[in-house]
Amino acid sequence: MTTSASEPLLALSDVNTFYGQAQVHFDLSITVARGHIVCLLGGNASGKSTTMKIILGLVKPRSGEVTFDGASLIGLTTPQIVRRGIASVPEARRLFADMSVRENILMGAFVRNDREAIAQDLDRMLTLFPKLGQRLSQRAGSLSGGEQQMVAMARALMSRPRMIVMDEPTMGLSPLYVDRVLELIRTINQEGVSVFMVEQNASLALEIAHEAYVLQTGRIVLSGPARALKDDPRIRDAYLGGSEAA
Amino acid sequence: MSSWLDYTINGLIVGNVYALVAVGLALIFGVSRLINFAQGSIYLVGAYIGWVAVVQLHTPLPLTIIVVAVAAAIVGLIIERFGLRPLQNSVRIAPLLATIGISFVLDQLVMLTFSPNPRALPSQLPDVRFQVGGGTIGPLDLLIAGVGLTSALLLFVFLRYSKLGWAVRAASQDRDAAMQMGVDVNRVNQAVFGIAAALGGVSGMLVGMYYNQIDTAMSLQATLKGVVAEVVGGAGNVPGAVIGSLLLGLVESYGVAVFGTSYRNLFAFLLLVVVLVLRPNGLFASARQAPPEPLTGTFIAPSRPVRIPRWALAVASAGFAVLPLFPVSFYVLQTLINAWLLGMLALSLTLVAGTIGQVSLGHAALLAIGAYTSALLSLALNVPVGLAVIGGGLMSAALGTLLISPSFRLRGHYVSIATLAIGEIVSLVILNWESVTRGPIGISGIPPLSLFGYDLISPTSIYWFSFAVMVVLALLQGRLLDSHLGRSFRAIRDDDVAARAYGLSLNRYKSLAFIFGGFAAGISGGIAAHLYSYINHETFNTQQSILALTVVILGGLGNVVGAMLGAVALVGLPEVFRIAAEYRILIYGIVLLLLVRFRPQGLLGTM
Ligand SMILES: Nc1ncnc2c1ncn2[C@@H]1O[C@H](COP(=O)(O)OP(=O)(O)OP(=O)(O)O)[C@@H](O)[C@H]1O
Ligand SMILES: [Mg+2]
Repeated sequence: MTTSASEPLLALSDVNTFYGQAQVHFDLSITVARGHIVCLLGGNASGKSTTMKIILGLVKPRSGEVTFDGASLIGLTTPQIVRRGIASVPEARRLFADMSVRENILMGAFVRNDREAIAQDLDRMLTLFPKLGQRLSQRAGSLSGGEQQMVAMARALMSRPRMIVMDEPTMGLSPLYVDRVLELIRTINQEGVSVFMVEQNASLALEIAHEAYVLQTGRIVLSGPARALKDDPRIRDAYLGGSEAA
Repeated sequence: MSSWLDYTINGLIVGNVYALVAVGLALIFGVSRLINFAQGSIYLVGAYIGWVAVVQLHTPLPLTIIVVAVAAAIVGLIIERFGLRPLQNSVRIAPLLATIGISFVLDQLVMLTFSPNPRALPSQLPDVRFQVGGGTIGPLDLLIAGVGLTSALLLFVFLRYSKLGWAVRAASQDRDAAMQMGVDVNRVNQAVFGIAAALGGVSGMLVGMYYNQIDTAMSLQATLKGVVAEVVGGAGNVPGAVIGSLLLGLVESYGVAVFGTSYRNLFAFLLLVVVLVLRPNGLFASARQAPPEPLTGTFIAPSRPVRIPRWALAVASAGFAVLPLFPVSFYVLQTLINAWLLGMLALSLTLVAGTIGQVSLGHAALLAIGAYTSALLSLALNVPVGLAVIGGGLMSAALGTLLISPSFRLRGHYVSIATLAIGEIVSLVILNWESVTRGPIGISGIPPLSLFGYDLISPTSIYWFSFAVMVVLALLQGRLLDSHLGRSFRAIRDDDVAARAYGLSLNRYKSLAFIFGGFAAGISGGIAAHLYSYINHETFNTQQSILALTVVILGGLGNVVGAMLGAVALVGLPEVFRIAAEYRILIYGIVLLLLVRFRPQGLLGTM
């Protein structure tokens, strides 16, 4: 198989999604280039999380195509998609609250069977997220929000994914942790993992993203390189529009 | 006379048996948020497989245990694969109803294969007892304790150290997140159903040996006890289920010691209701834990109801009204009278379960309250029968609503459990409150129906009377549904959070629905009492509650015409096809399963 570097890693094309009668996505098209950080911006209820769920196979689109590394993801189950190399940091982190931090991180390696390499990766996570070292045997549910975010990111990395999708990774975090999380996303990305992230906080996201899309009630209203969008007045407008609609 | 230590030992042993059932329920609830009402049936199947192994194949005890565990596990896997997996994307109530249908089918298959007569299940262990302190303990007690502890240990090792065990734990804490880690939820479901069934089957076998008797009535009791223990421990909480079971065993055992055997179950269900009301997440759940239930509707299948023109309804009613004028047999009239009585119950249930979304599994209790009230009013106080029946309706409306009201704050499956328990409590109170209800003897010599001094004795007059009552109730209910009140009911069903946000008082509306529904069911029970002339605490049982639910689903939840059509179909069709009585429950179970799978909105659609 030839995978040309120019072919995007992930592509959604003309996706239409419904919850019952209500349409959430209207001809949604998004691409994530290899090695890039792509950010999806949008106000409340604009359909951001649903986009993540489409990628992960948790919600099925009514029409449209989703491809990863050139192959369609439509019709695959979530575990099958995960095995293709997509890891996720869900909205509100969704840790396994009653399992220990160690177990949570190791759950990330569920699709792998190479015990020794998994143990090494666990050590690597502890260098990447040093704070977690003392918390390994603690109940994940007892951690602070910021610590939980670290666990969720470590958990996602444990599958050695080619791409991580993240839903509002900075939500509810103190400014200190927000910076830390953004820094980590950049680090992860520099190690070769593509990132697709959903954010409400445009200015933060545009700091680290390569490209960005703006979603407004299910339609992409704006997209382009992050650098260009950062100064675009329409970002503000789209935003206000988005949150008014919600 | 036994000592307190004996009661304690007995309580712990029985608790151990409950634990084997409850742990399985907890595993399944954890992963699928499903109360598996078929768990007791697997326990029943386990007991009978044990009987076949011991009595016919003469297997040694260790082999018997293995045979039962494996065979029961296979039954569990089949249930998961063919009964439940196809319903994954169905409405939330579908799997619950499917497990009820499966339990009917399994119980009936066992009954048809082995006959309903009890059988002895010898334990193959020496009959000696050792003195311990002031009590005694026998080899079977030790076996049960040993099986309980071994199972707990195996389960612990599985959950803690195996990959599949991790997947089970992860899926039970957050199913979607587990899938995002690559966990195949189908395999997890398979695993928990297999384990739950193996444990349940062994439990049934051990209980059979403990009492040296097995019969088909074990099934429902086991489900109920397992559910009680599981909910007390916190639905989905495996260690909680073990503690809940031991607690239940002790409470029952001490209760029996103080009050007598007939109170055993009463304590179990009272414990359940108290826990549900005070700590719906169980005794050990942390306070912040969200209740594991959906917050909004999607509990019944949304659909567009079939619109039946008024003239068609009028023609059908007229047809049924003039039917006795034609030379129809006594038998046909009798069958249709039963259909009308069931129709009244179905009207009641379709309002409560369909329109306002409280899926009641204890609806027969409303019949019982109406029947006893009417019977006692006419017998003890010489109230004219016509008035007594109305009194039965009113009492059922009032008392029924009062009894159900603790469950108003519950949602989804918890409502079903609570109503099931309340239904059992009513029947147990009737059994034990001898001074009023005459206890197990029942009430005989109930006077026949009469209206304004004229006795209704001929089948034709009874037919007209019950048909007219049903039609009046249906018209009233139709009016109700079209009113503002009806819309509020549906709003609560579809989204109780939003309904509350709009300022609807949930308790008030739920009460109103139960008052209306209780009245209709009470009238049905009252009429039945005077038709049967004899009733006891078992006349109106859980089987009838489930039958009513099947009728209501068949017609379409919330659908008034559907409720009556469902009653005629379910009572009438077995007669038309001359299906022998012992196969009927089996057929009902299969009908329920097929409906849930292929037409959850019923014949006429949900409203
Ligand atoms: N399971 C569901 N069933 C029905 N409607 C849903 C469901 N999930 C989301 N929706 C609706 O779809 C729309 C988009 O939801 P989504 O969660 O994708 O928005 P979002 O952009 O992530 O919002 P937020 O910023 O609040 O996280 C919303 O109107 C939401 O109410
Ligand atoms: Mg979201």
